[in-house]
This record gives sequence, structure tokens and C-alpha cells, in this order.
Amino acid sequence: MDIVLRGVAIFVFLYVLMRAIGRRELSTLEPFDLILLIVLGDAVQQGLTQDDYSLTGAFLAIGTIAVMQLLVSYTNFRFPRLRPLLEGEPIVIVQDGKLIDRNMRRERLTPDDLMSAARLQNIASLDEIAWAVMETSGSISFIKKSGS
Amino acid sequence: MSRSCAALAELSGVADVPERIVLERHRELRSPAFFRPARYAFLVALLALLVAGLANVFGQRPATHTVDTPRAKLELYAPSHLRGGLLYEARFTIEAHADVKNALLQLSPGWNEGMQMNTIEPGPVGESSRDGDLLFTLGRIRAGTRFRLFLEFQTNPTNVGRKTADATLYDGATKLATVHRTVTVFP
Repeated sequence: MDIVLRGVAIFVFLYVLMRAIGRRELSTLEPFDLILLIVLGDAVQQGLTQDDYSLTGAFLAIGTIAVMQLLVSYTNFRFPRLRPLLEGEPIVIVQDGKLIDRNMRRERLTPDDLMSAARLQNIASLDEIAWAVMETSGSISFIKKSGS
Repeated sequence: MSRSCAALAELSGVADVPERIVLERHRELRSPAFFRPARYAFLVALLALLVAGLANVFGQRPATHTVDTPRAKLELYAPSHLRGGLLYEARFTIEAHADVKNALLQLSPGWNEGMQMNTIEPGPVGESSRDGDLLFTLGRIRAGTRFRLFLEFQTNPTNVGRKTADATLYDGATKLATVHRTVTVFP
């Protein structure tokens, strides 16, 4: 029973934590982020299964996380009103080639970060961008101006 | 966007607002998703959790409890806040002001319930039970000398909650000193 309860607690904590720290932290996977991910996984595992090395314990832990994820996903789908809270909303960061500073600041994005993402989409200049939207996944989608 | 607006946008070279993007929500950030107080509240709570951790609220920094009586001083150095799985030590120091002919240390069940007792050093002369409590026979402690007893434990992960963990020093049937304490185990 303990593993299931711990699994639920850890899932809820991680979910709220990820929503609170912001999407910018989720969008990149630099070498350091990868190391952090491994460390995080190890720390979570210790709290989740502790000294339980059994197959049953592993099934319970994995099953709990899977069911919780399914629950969140279903709630997202079934109750659109809750979607902004559970998943967040996209944020417009560029409109008609102009940075929306307030939204950039909110996501701790610098113009350099933005242009780095733009170059990956073969966009060389801010003037070519009609809309740039930071998606809930943390990635930035670009819509070019017509004719660019 | 209306047809005339779309045409105007095309003329000016600016694309229409992307589908499912609502400027009021996604540019002006008027949506519950951007409700900052909730985010800050969580971050403050997280920070408070870390500060509480630093302040030893969740263990396992040891503390000293001392009871001094005319015949002996009993000092216990052990953590009173623990977490599941932690290894820790309890150190008893007995200073005899007068001869203690048959020192006995009585520990309430909270000391062992949901705990692994890994070792006791030096091994007591005898171990038994008195009214459900653990009783260690330590033998004679001469006046002016000091006796140290080390107990090493590990907390079981399923052991959560608060327990009484008193320790009482006897000389035979005579009670000399009692340390009253509770142990809180966090999940």
C-alpha cells in the first residue's frame, strides 16, 4: 500500500513542480539537463520504492505512475476547462516581428534564446516572423510572414 | 478574423492569428493558467520545505538530552526527528557521581518499534524485558567514572509517526534518572 501512496504523492509533487518552474526549463536537454534528469530519477526512485527490490514493488510503482498519467491525460481530454490548469496555455512571444517583452520575461526567455530557436527553423531575422508561440511543451513554433 | 481583416493582413504581409490562439488569453495572458499567485504560493511552499529541512525539522541532526541527579548523570545524544531508511546512532553517557552497583538502562518500546537495531557497543551484560520495555544490564559503574553505550539503528521505511522513546537509568530497583523524549519519523 505504501508504494502506491508514495507513487501518488511523488507524481502530484512532480506534476505541480513542473507546472510551477515553467516551460523554459522543460524545453531544452543540454548535457547538464540530462545529468539533472538522471539525478532526479535516482532521487525519486529512492523515495518511491526505498528498500523494496521486489518485482511486485516495481509493478506497483510503475503501475501507479502510469494510472496517474492516464488520469491526468483523460481529465485533460474530458474537461477542457481544466486544461489550462493541468497543461498550461501557449504564449505569444512575437507578433509581427516585435518581441512581446512581458511574455518573454515571464518565461525567462532572452532574444538570443528566441533567435537561436528561430535559426533552427531557417529564420534569420526577427522581421521574418509573423508569430512566435511558446507551446505548452516548451518548444517555440514560428509562423513566417507571408512572402518571407 | 473577418475576410476584410484577412485581406488587410495579407496586404501588409502579416499572417492571421494562428488558429486556436486567442490574443486576449495567449498574448495578454488572461487565463487561469497564468495565475501567478498560485505559482508563487507553490514556490514559497517549496522554499519553506527546504528551509525546514535545513532547520532540522525533518531530522536527522542529533540533540543532547541530559538529566543530572545526585547519584548519576544520564546524557543521551541522538536525533529525535528521522525519516524512513535513515541510519542513525544513539549515544548514552552515564557519569556516576556515586557508585552504581548494578546499572540498568530501560528503553521504552518506541526505541525499537519499526527500527532495525544494528549493533550495541559495548555489548550489555544482559538483555531482558521489564513491563514490555527493553532492559539492558550494564553492570557496575564506579563513582567518578563514565560509561558510554552506543546503539546503531536504521529506521524501517514503513515506520511513520511519533513514538515515545524514554530512557531510564536504574541502580538495581532504584530509579536514578529518566530522559523523556519522543521520536518523530517522517515518511
